[in-house]
Amino acid sequence: MQILENIRLAFSSILANKMRALLTMLGIIIGISAVITITTIGSSIQKTLTNTFNSMGSMNFFEIYSTFDWEKAEPDEDGNYNWEWQEDDRLSREMLDELIQTYPEYFSMNLTDSYGSSTLLNWQDQSMSVNINGVLNFEHMQGLEPELLSGRGISYQDNANRKQTIVVSDLFVSQYFAPDADPLGQAVTLDLQTGQAEDFVIVGVYEMPEAYAKQAYQPGMKELEKVTPVYVPLDTMMYLLRQEDNYRYWADIYYNPEYDVAMQEQLLKDFFNEQYEKAEKPYMTIDVMNMQEQMGMINAVVNVVTIAISVIAAISLIVGGVGVMNIMLVSITERTKEIGIRKALGAQNRSIRMQFVTEAILICLIGGIIGIISGILNGMIIGYVAKAVITNMYPEEASMFAITVQPSVIAMLISVVFSILTGVFFGYYPANKAAKMNPIDALRYD
Amino acid sequence: MRKTVISMKDIIKKYYIGKPNELQILHGISLDIQEGEFVSIVGQSGSGKSTLMNIIGALDRPTDGSYFLNGADISTLDDAELSRIRNKEIGFVFQTFNLIPRTNAIKNVEMPMMYAGIPKKQRLERTMELLEIVGMSERANHQPNELSGGQKQRVAIARAMANKPSLLLADEPTGALDSKTGRMIMDLFHKLHQEEHTTIVLITHSQELAQETQRMITISDGSIIADTGVKSHADS
Repeated sequence: MQILENIRLAFSSILANKMRALLTMLGIIIGISAVITITTIGSSIQKTLTNTFNSMGSMNFFEIYSTFDWEKAEPDEDGNYNWEWQEDDRLSREMLDELIQTYPEYFSMNLTDSYGSSTLLNWQDQSMSVNINGVLNFEHMQGLEPELLSGRGISYQDNANRKQTIVVSDLFVSQYFAPDADPLGQAVTLDLQTGQAEDFVIVGVYEMPEAYAKQAYQPGMKELEKVTPVYVPLDTMMYLLRQEDNYRYWADIYYNPEYDVAMQEQLLKDFFNEQYEKAEKPYMTIDVMNMQEQMGMINAVVNVVTIAISVIAAISLIVGGVGVMNIMLVSITERTKEIGIRKALGAQNRSIRMQFVTEAILICLIGGIIGIISGILNGMIIGYVAKAVITNMYPEEASMFAITVQPSVIAMLISVVFSILTGVFFGYYPANKAAKMNPIDALRYD
Repeated sequence: MRKTVISMKDIIKKYYIGKPNELQILHGISLDIQEGEFVSIVGQSGSGKSTLMNIIGALDRPTDGSYFLNGADISTLDDAELSRIRNKEIGFVFQTFNLIPRTNAIKNVEMPMMYAGIPKKQRLERTMELLEIVGMSERANHQPNELSGGQKQRVAIARAMANKPSLLLADEPTGALDSKTGRMIMDLFHKLHQEEHTTIVLITHSQELAQETQRMITISDGSIIADTGVKSHADS
C-alpha cells in the first residue's frame, strides 16, 4: 500500500528535477547501454553463426586449402623464396578421390559446381527455368539439405559412368509435368551454356526445403517464375562441357565424428603431404580449418569481449551509483523540512528510509531501462549496418549468412536487477541518514 | 469524570548536558490538561514555550520529570513508539503550515492515515469529510502552491485532525496570516472545540489570542507563572 505511494512520490520528486535526474542517470544509462550493446552484438554473432551453420547442415567438416609450405621450401642464394602459383599446385580430383577411397570409414565429401540456368518448356509449352548444379553425390549439399521424396539421389556411379541423370524438386514436377504424371524415368532436355542441348533422365525427386523457398521466392511470385535447383552428376557435366580443369583451391572434407577429430585432422594433413611428395611438389601442403573449432573460437572471443566490456560497464555503474548517492544526499538535504513534517505526522524511520530508497531505485531503474533501450537500438543499428556491409561486399555469400540481430534477454534481466541493486546499495546510506534525522531539527530547517 | 489528556510533573529540559555550556530551558513544569479543554500557552520568545511544545508533541523527551499522554509514559518510549504516538494521538498545526510541496490537499490530509496503515478507501472518505469541515472541499485537488495562506492552514488543520487525535497542538497558527484570515482560523479552532469536542493546546506569544481560550497558561523563563485554568476548571 505504501509502496505505491512511495513510487508516486518518487516519480513526482524526479519529475520536479528532470534535468538533475537525467544527469544523475547518465552513468547508469551509459553502463547499462554498453553492456546491452555488446551483449546484443555478441548474441547476434552467436545466433548468426548457429543459424548459418545450421543452414549448412552438418558442421563436422574440415575446410582444406592448398597452400605453400614455407618450412619445407628452400630459399635461393639471395634468400628469396621463388614460388609462383602453378595451376596444378592445387588439390587435384585424383587426390581427393583417393582420400575418400583410402579412408572411407573417416572421410566423405561432395564437390559441387554451378552451371547456370537453363530454360525449358513445360507440358503446356510454357517457359520455365532451372538452375543446374553438378554434384558428386547427394550428401553434404551445403546450404540445402534436400530430402528425397521418390527415386534416388546422384551417385558416384552416375559420375564415374558419365550418366546423364538428374534429380529435380517437387516444385519442378508440378511446374513441368501434367498433374498425376510420373516423373521418374522421364527425360528432361537442358540447354547448356555452350548451346548444346542434352537429355537427362529423372532418377529422383526431392522436397523443396522451406528455408530455401522462403529465401529464394518473393511472396506473390508466379508459380512458373520460381527457379528451382536441379542436380546432375558433376563429372558428367565436366565431360559434356569438355572442362579440363580438374583442380580446386579448397574442398570440404567431412570427418567421422565417432572418431577422434584431431587424429583425423593429422591423417588428412599426412595424406596430402604424401600426395604432394608423390606429385613432386614437396613445397605444397594444406591448411585445415575445423569449422566447429572456428565457431567455438569466435564464441570464445565474443565472450571475452563481452566480459571485458561488462567489467568496464560495471565501473560505469559504480560511478553512476555514486552519482545517485550524491544526488540523494542533496535531495534529502533539500527536503529536510519535508522529512521533519513527515516525522511529526507520525512517519516511522523505516517509512522515510523506504521512501528515499524507492526514489534511488526508481532513478536507477529508469536509467537502466533507458540504457537497455539505447543498448538494443545501438546493437540493432550496428547489426543492420554490418548486414548491409556484408551484403554489399559479398552479395553471393550473404545469402549463406543468416544474419540475425537478437538482443540478449538474459543480459536485459540482469541489467534490470543490477539497476535495482545499484539503487538499493547507493540509496541506502542517504535514505538512512534521512530516516535518522531528529524531527525537531528537521522541522526547524529552512 | 473527564479524562486527563496531558499529565506533566516536574518536567525539566536541559541541553548540552555535562558540558560547560549546559543550558536548562524548563525548570520543573507541572500541568494537567483534561479532555475537551481549549488551552493556550503564552510566553515571550525565549520563555521555553517551544521546548515545552516539542515535549507535549512527543517530538522530544524531557531530561527529567514524568509526562503521561493519555496514560502513556512518553519519557520512556523509543523513537518508533514516539512516531506512533505523534501519528495517533497528536495533530500538529504549525505557524508555516508545513504542507508537503507538490502534493495536493487530499494527499496531504491522507498522509497521517497512510502512516497509520488505514486502507485507501477509508482514507479518502475521512479526507473528504475533514476537508468539508474546514471548508476546503472545493480545493481538494489543489497543490499547496496554488493555495492562499489561510487555505493552506485550513488544509493543515484537516490533516492534524485526520487520525482523530487526543490533542490538537497548534504552534502560532495565525502567526503567518493577516488579521482577517487569522480570525477565520481562530474561529475554526473554536468550531472544532465546540462541535467536535477536540482538546486543543494553542501556543502563542499573543495575549489577545490567548484570552479567547478557556484557560491560559503563562510561562516565563521555563516556569509556569500563571494558570487561569485551575479557576475555570473549578468553576466547571
